[in-house]
Amino acid sequence: MLTKEFIGMIAQASGLSKKDTEQLLATTNAVMRENLMAGKVIQWQGLGAFEIKERAARTIVHPRTGERSTIPSKQQLVFRPVNAMKEELKNA
Amino acid sequence: MADKLSWTELRRAVATRAGVNEKTAGVFLNALTSQLLRGLRADKMVKINGFGTFKLQAVAPRKSVNVKTGEEIVIPGYNKIVFTPEVGVKELVERGTEVGSETTDVVRSEIDPIKKLGEQAEEIVGLLADLGQGPKSEKPEEPVVAPEPVVVEPVPEPVVAPEPEPVVEPEPVVEEPMPEPEPVVAEPEPVVVEPQPVKEPEKPKKQFHFVRDLMICVVVLLLLLFGGYFFLRSQLTRWMESLAQPKENSEISIQKSEEPVVEPVVMDTIVPEPEQENSEVSIQDSEEPVVEPEPYSDLITIEEMHEASRLTWMAKRYYGDKKYWPYLYDANRDVIVNPSRIKVGTPIRVPKLTKEQRDTTNAETKARLEALRIEAEEACRTK
Repeated sequence: MLTKEFIGMIAQASGLSKKDTEQLLATTNAVMRENLMAGKVIQWQGLGAFEIKERAARTIVHPRTGERSTIPSKQQLVFRPVNAMKEELKNA
Repeated sequence: MADKLSWTELRRAVATRAGVNEKTAGVFLNALTSQLLRGLRADKMVKINGFGTFKLQAVAPRKSVNVKTGEEIVIPGYNKIVFTPEVGVKELVERGTEVGSETTDVVRSEIDPIKKLGEQAEEIVGLLADLGQGPKSEKPEEPVVAPEPVVVEPVPEPVVAPEPEPVVEPEPVVEEPMPEPEPVVAEPEPVVVEPQPVKEPEKPKKQFHFVRDLMICVVVLLLLLFGGYFFLRSQLTRWMESLAQPKENSEISIQKSEEPVVEPVVMDTIVPEPEQENSEVSIQDSEEPVVEPEPYSDLITIEEMHEASRLTWMAKRYYGDKKYWPYLYDANRDVIVNPSRIKVGTPIRVPKLTKEQRDTTNAETKARLEALRIEAEEACRTK
């Protein structure tokens, strides 16, 4: 399902106009991005948590040459769904 | 990192940013959650532009062992929720740390001096304009030379000297059309000598620039015209010759024109083989190639060889049977050296085949095809 369709569904469920929904969705995205960049964990009720986590550096071995090299650590956006949501979609 | 943004904080932030009250924002966010669930259930995928994609990923059932009893059990399959941030968001997150901002600073500091150089150049140009020198002056040396010419005579010399230097072409140009440039050079001289003040030479300079540019344009155009003329003339003469020849000697010209195009000299070696019965053949050598190439005069098409082309397949496509492929080799002897190694991009002429050529029940045709095939295979081996 793509964004346009999704917006239509939200608009129908919330009773807002599609235009407002679109705007609110964009605002939400912006707010979430900013807070995430500020190092905050976003607790979204009924959905889950969004968080930027550091992925640790690790060493890899080239299978043919046996050469060892390090992949540096990096930041990653992680989503952890709430248990209720996990359970609900388990058998969808 | 432990800093949390709670549900209410998020709702408030969205509400203030979007300019709506918190209740509306709450309704929207709740609707988003519920619809996300619904969407995932329906499509197993929900994409939100500017943020990321939520997906349901199936985990296959797998076997395991009950640790306590040693019993084999099957862990049933289920769906898990996977979130993939959008590329832009991912990049933003990756370089969002302080390390990233430092690198961008370094880049900026490298760019700055270049801008300063450009500004300096602009300043120099502005200064030159203020000094009253020609705006076209390309080198900073000229302003140094120009103030000196208060001594009347040397003025034209520095003016003439720097000009041919930047443009390489004008040197021979000036030499060839002697009458035209000389008067131009001669004119500014008296102008300079009569009114001694320094400001006067500017105008002749500008005029000279203009005239010089015009001269260059004209000469280049003339050269182009001459080149085009000679090229066309050589083409025309060649064409005329090719036209004239067939009228003069019809027999020889046909031989000459058709031999290289359709069937090269090699023909002599093949043709006798199928037609050895005719004793005349050996005598009428000149007519023979004329008679033979005729079947190939009509072309179905010209096809370029590409990596997967094969003569046999082309024969099957155009003639309906791959056994006719030796004709393709025969018709393209001038471009095909080794039939099994034809270069990619070689244009292959596909000739129309006559009924006799197609008729493999005819012993003569069969023999000729066989002879061509043997020769082509020989070429494969030897060349």
